[in-house]
Amino acid sequence: MPELDPVIHAQGRLRALVTLATLLPGDRLTFPRMQELLDMTAGNLLTHLRKLEEADYVDVRKRSRGRSSVTSIAITPHGRSALEGYRIGLRQLLDDVPQADEAPSSTAS
Amino acid sequence: MEPTTSSVHDVDGDDGTELTAAQRLAVIDAQEQATQRQLEPDPLLMLGPWGVAWLLGFGLLFLRFGPDGRTFVDLPDWLPLATLFTGLVLAATITAVLGYRSYHGIEGPSSLQGAMYGWSWFLGFGALMPIVARMGNQLPADEEGLLWGAAAVALTGVLYMAGGAVWRDRWMFALGAWIATTNVIGAMAGPGWHSLIVAVAGGGGLLLAGVTTTVVMRRRRAR
Repeated sequence: MPELDPVIHAQGRLRALVTLATLLPGDRLTFPRMQELLDMTAGNLLTHLRKLEEADYVDVRKRSRGRSSVTSIAITPHGRSALEGYRIGLRQLLDDVPQADEAPSSTAS
Repeated sequence: MEPTTSSVHDVDGDDGTELTAAQRLAVIDAQEQATQRQLEPDPLLMLGPWGVAWLLGFGLLFLRFGPDGRTFVDLPDWLPLATLFTGLVLAATITAVLGYRSYHGIEGPSSLQGAMYGWSWFLGFGALMPIVARMGNQLPADEEGLLWGAAAVALTGVLYMAGGAVWRDRWMFALGAWIATTNVIGAMAGPGWHSLIVAVAGGGGLLLAGVTTTVVMRRRRAR
């Protein structure tokens, strides 16, 4: 049975990474837009982003614009391949389920 | 592995482990589709208003200022152009609002492409119109109207083709090529006929392209 990535096993982080992965390579999302796309509170999204950043799945950048600052987020190549691996892992789990059910009956006969 | 109530409602917690693999794949698909819907404006709403503006505006121009100075419907002189410009301004407003709603908060190569493409429309028309105004002065009224219409529609066709090249969008390129080609046929046919051809082929083409790309996009997302 394949092991699933614990970092994106939480639904919120999974959705956050999926959202970033729909962007074209090189594109970034601003924090408020990402919040809007995910329908999450700022605190919630910040917590998820911190964990994703620790795993090097996302790149969070802050730059100043006038008196305020803009935070933008992009998925890293590492994050993209982690998501792809996670997806493949889930599909393998699904494929494995019927085989696991069949296994005992075939040995019994 | 039935999910508990808490895991279904979980958005942020770590008890999401109780979701099944199938449910997780469904979460991924749903999020992908929801994001795409919000990041890509509906092509029908982006192209349709322009199609309606051309259909009505150029349609009325044809009815009022027909071929060989004929008048099919005795409308006030100002009405066809006023309708066309009102329609174009409305279409531009709708496109700008929808574009902003979809593309705001995205930074990087895509937004640079979009910005340069937007400026191409603005500067393209800015560069063409003073020349047309200068040349048009020398012409009889019906030929002057034809020059304005044909020049503006030709540039529109070219910009759609360029948009097709930028986003590797065959439908957008085909739309531009269709507009540019039918525009030339109209211009050759002369004043009056040009309005009819642009109304039907151009306006109709924009509407058809809007419907077709919307259908193609929905099918691609449903896959």
